[in-house]
Amino acid sequence: MKLVHDAVTIMTPFLLAALGGLFTELAGTLNIALEGFMLIGAFFSIVFVSVTGSMLTGILLGVLITVIFAFIFGAVSLYLKTNIFITGLAANLMASGLTVVLSARFFGSKGVVTFSGLTPLKGLHSGYSFFVYTSWLLVVVSWFIIYHTAFGLRIRGTGIHPDAVSSLGLRPSQYKLAAILISGAACGLAGAMLTLNVSAFVPGITAGRGWIALVVIYLGDRTPWGILAASFIFGLSISFSNYAQGVLNLPADIILSFPYILTVAAMTVYQIYRIKRKGGGLQHR
Amino acid sequence: MNRREKENIIVSFWGVLLVLGASLLFAAVLIFLLSSEPLPAVKYFFTGPFLSRYFFGNMLDAAVPLIFTGLGISLAFKASLFNLGGEGQIYMGALVTTVVCLALPEFNGLAGGLTALAAGSLAAGLLAALSGYLKVKWNVDSMISSFLLSSAVVYGVNFFITGYFKDPSSSLLSTPFIDSRYFLPHLMNPSTLSTSIFFALGGAVIIYFLLYRTRWGYEMTMCGLNPEFARYGGVNVSSYVTMPFFLSGLMHGLGGGFAVLGTYHMSIKGFTSGMGWGGIAVALIAKNNPLGVIPAALFFAYLNAGSKAAMLHTDVTFEVAAVVEAFVFFFITSEVIFSFIRRKRRSLL
Repeated sequence: MKLVHDAVTIMTPFLLAALGGLFTELAGTLNIALEGFMLIGAFFSIVFVSVTGSMLTGILLGVLITVIFAFIFGAVSLYLKTNIFITGLAANLMASGLTVVLSARFFGSKGVVTFSGLTPLKGLHSGYSFFVYTSWLLVVVSWFIIYHTAFGLRIRGTGIHPDAVSSLGLRPSQYKLAAILISGAACGLAGAMLTLNVSAFVPGITAGRGWIALVVIYLGDRTPWGILAASFIFGLSISFSNYAQGVLNLPADIILSFPYILTVAAMTVYQIYRIKRKGGGLQHR
Repeated sequence: MNRREKENIIVSFWGVLLVLGASLLFAAVLIFLLSSEPLPAVKYFFTGPFLSRYFFGNMLDAAVPLIFTGLGISLAFKASLFNLGGEGQIYMGALVTTVVCLALPEFNGLAGGLTALAAGSLAAGLLAALSGYLKVKWNVDSMISSFLLSSAVVYGVNFFITGYFKDPSSSLLSTPFIDSRYFLPHLMNPSTLSTSIFFALGGAVIIYFLLYRTRWGYEMTMCGLNPEFARYGGVNVSSYVTMPFFLSGLMHGLGGGFAVLGTYHMSIKGFTSGMGWGGIAVALIAKNNPLGVIPAALFFAYLNAGSKAAMLHTDVTFEVAAVVEAFVFFFITSEVIFSFIRRKRRSLL
């Protein structure tokens, strides 16, 4: 049972980031900036929680900063017409550079910055944090928005056929931007969970989770429920490998590389399965 | 070269210059906001690399791996492929080169060095080619797979450097030094600049020739521009996915190998970190032109050297360079900026 309990905690940042990324994915953008968004959320949430002394205010401010960051990314790529992958890389590099620079400036450390005296947000008696329940709520909310609102329909329309959206007098770029902002908010929350769980900021704390979340979106067949299932399987395998580390005494570096290898393997198996089933597969290019 | 091509080159040139100029301005503003002694910090940032033979040589030396990674990325970009695995590929190339040098002490310098470089670049090439293979075989997104594989490899290499091949007598997290017979001759003592810079310059010329003067390069560019058209013209399109990836990885591996033979003489944990991302920035500034890669790499080496100088003398952290680099990334592909310059230019003529 501990394995499952750990899995649920481990999967939550993936789930949150993937839910946010689902909106950009459906709007027709492969958003590789999820990683950078998470890192910004991770840094600013814990800083604001520590400054304001309030969990909720701090997290909200952290998410707000992430949304602003996402807005810059979206505005530059949509209105200055840049290559969105390159600008996505820019956002990731900017996030990793900026968080270290700011941490060095304000906390005098380029390494781990610990924040003491934070009261963790725990759930009732389950031991799951506030983030876990929020992520489940957001699965339902995303499902509702995507399939049962005009906004969701237009987001999907933007991805499938932007010209059809324009023909209704709407601007596809606005829906793309909205999707990017949503992904920013979700990733901000995901990042907040990472730092607040350990009461510390570590440079590069996201450790590729944004990228893995991108793959989770595919594996979840681009639906909220599918993403929930895919994240859980991911969380379970990582929690299992953590357990195996203790038993087999594997070196830490090997364990750290495991999620990446697992992701590539899962992505490959998924593509083989799709090709067998549908004679095609998802592709961006 | 016809008029249109000429105009494109001129527009690219001014556009790139505009973005780079803006990035330097951004650097100055950033330092003013962050530093408690902004004036000396800005001064060292901009003039530091030219203040001494040591700094200047080190700056030139830092351009060497960036030229290799920039060439590797340009090659892949020409075939419309994103190789996001540069970080892992250069690190792997460096480790394999080091290990082969350590394993072959009885060789003479040249043959042994070449064997080590070949092994390092081959290992990195195969790592990159795996992404191409997965793309051709099962249509697995090569951008994501190259990133993920490279990240896994970075941890794997860390494991070997800090564990299996670690020098037990050293306090550094590193392998032992390679034999001094493999060291490339230094050019500008006391800096680390070595003859590896000539290999980098030669590499740029070779890649230029390969891309613009051979049938292979032409076909690859065609596949990048319009795969359907290339297929219609009888080109085996899928071979131009795995091969460019392989060559791209090969160049990264060479970058890592030369960093070992020319500069570091061992592998240290994380010592190539940032060179892979830097290569992408370099390729973007160069607009994928292999000869343009050389000045672009020098520009980034200058940024890094400047922030190192500022760090040594003032309270600015080295990561300022990474933030400025990201700034360049943000705007360098903007079509709006380039078409703005095109319009301005036309209205002036």
